[in-house]
Amino acid sequence: MTARSIWNGTLTLGALVVPVKLFTATEARALSFREVRADDGARVRHRRVGARTGEEVPFAEIEKAYGDGSDEVVMTKDEIAAADGPRAKVVEIEHVVRAEEIDPVHYDKPYHLGARDGGAHAYRLLLAALERGGRVGIGRLVLRQRERLVALRPLQGALALQTLRFADELVPADDLDVPTPRKAPAEREVEMAGRLVDMLAGPWDPDAYRDTYRQAVMDVVAAKLEGREPDAPLPAEDRDDDLLAALEASLERGS
Amino acid sequence: MPRPIWSGSISFGLVNVPVQLYGATRDRSVRFHQVRAGTGEAIETRRVAEGSDDEVDWAEIARGWETDDGRLVVLLDEDLDRAAPERTRTVDVELFVDLEEIDPIHFDHPYWLVPRGEGEGPARAYRLLRDVLADSDRVAIGRIVIRAREQLVAIRERQGLLSLTTMRFAEEIRDPHDTGAVPTDEASAPSDAEVDDAVALLEEMTVDWDPTSYADAHRERLLALVEEKRRNGEVREPDPEDEPVPQVASKDLLAALEESLDRIRGDRKRPGTRSPAKRGGVGSSGRKPSGTEKAKAKAKKA
Repeated sequence: MTARSIWNGTLTLGALVVPVKLFTATEARALSFREVRADDGARVRHRRVGARTGEEVPFAEIEKAYGDGSDEVVMTKDEIAAADGPRAKVVEIEHVVRAEEIDPVHYDKPYHLGARDGGAHAYRLLLAALERGGRVGIGRLVLRQRERLVALRPLQGALALQTLRFADELVPADDLDVPTPRKAPAEREVEMAGRLVDMLAGPWDPDAYRDTYRQAVMDVVAAKLEGREPDAPLPAEDRDDDLLAALEASLERGS
Repeated sequence: MPRPIWSGSISFGLVNVPVQLYGATRDRSVRFHQVRAGTGEAIETRRVAEGSDDEVDWAEIARGWETDDGRLVVLLDEDLDRAAPERTRTVDVELFVDLEEIDPIHFDHPYWLVPRGEGEGPARAYRLLRDVLADSDRVAIGRIVIRAREQLVAIRERQGLLSLTTMRFAEEIRDPHDTGAVPTDEASAPSDAEVDDAVALLEEMTVDWDPTSYADAHRERLLALVEEKRRNGEVREPDPEDEPVPQVASKDLLAALEESLDRIRGDRKRPGTRSPAKRGGVGSSGRKPSGTEKAKAKAKKA
């Protein structure tokens, strides 16, 4: 069975043309709650109303506007779509970079790519070349009226595409106000902390982690359904403020 | 500074680092608001209780969970705090790993961590964790619950601060082969000559990663269209496509690769064109070793 693609288009690398389709790579997992009124559990509906008249406005009568006051401009769907540009259905690989150079903070939404209409051979070729070279292709994709920078890379024997945050979408560290301690940590503290990190170091195995919170919330739901009081939260544990003592105790505990 | 998204602690061993969490992204998309067609009246969203016109204040809203048999359970914030009392306040670091072992598909949302509280204690503990992560080139792995959702997190040093990135659980990520659209048949396998040429092309196109060299051209175009409409009351039809959009799969892949290589190498000879940075070889070492293989190699060394 073939899953439903969310976008059909073309990938180009130089003169190489690969017809592809795009699939979401993630599954919704978060608990989906309903908005309710706290005291009686009444469901809450969102109603679109005119700010002045208070009248409910049907969806078909709603338009998008930019700016305010006398500067406000109403834009139709077609006018907004005109910004997509002529190449909206093409992801052109503009550059190729080494995978390890991209800082993880740039990575955003992941997608899987499949081959389309006779593109299987070119798809396999591009995949094989990216796998062998340890490289990532950089291009652009317009998805839901937003242009995204994308990284094309091999993943589990398939081509994966992940949107990348533009540099100006990231808040630089300099924007934060961080107090600097008057005293740097002592050499001994740094050395002991290093040993503690070594002690807790290990290989990364993503399959070892499951969402356990979901079950915990379900337990609270079950308790409330039975009219039981859920267990009271534990008081916050007081931890030692003395860095050196805490490090010593941690190392002793671990060895 | 804006308000923190979360306040709590990071703990590793018995060391406690009080921190606050701030968003590390900003929304740069063009923001439209809704108006009523014809009248231009601004649209507001009001929350009302179902079956009535009673408006419900934000402060009166709770989360409702509907059971399979249609019963509704109201969950207040304190109920959710009871579900995972420790994790809503503390990120317990269970493991330190090498950054390159984590596949980027896991990375979700980035945040900044800053020390919380007055005095020397928090700032020094913060700095100790930051320094030890920077020195060891490792990433701390833990869990956090924010907004009624549990997430794995990776904490590391970046730009002199602690950076926290939420991570997708493996169970949230689909297998690409489940799409049914990933070709694996014998007939579509590329030849060695084709792969050699494609690797050569990738190498020719390789540059150093410079995120600041990419601007959001779509945002620029959209803002220009808004400006055009403001001035002229209308938007011109977009120009016809200036180059034909290739929609047909390449038939002769070798020919397409050779043509691309000729073009890129030809450009290079002309003065004033930028030559892609060259660093490191490609293709000689074959497949990149996976994270676990590397870890094994490391374990052996130790």
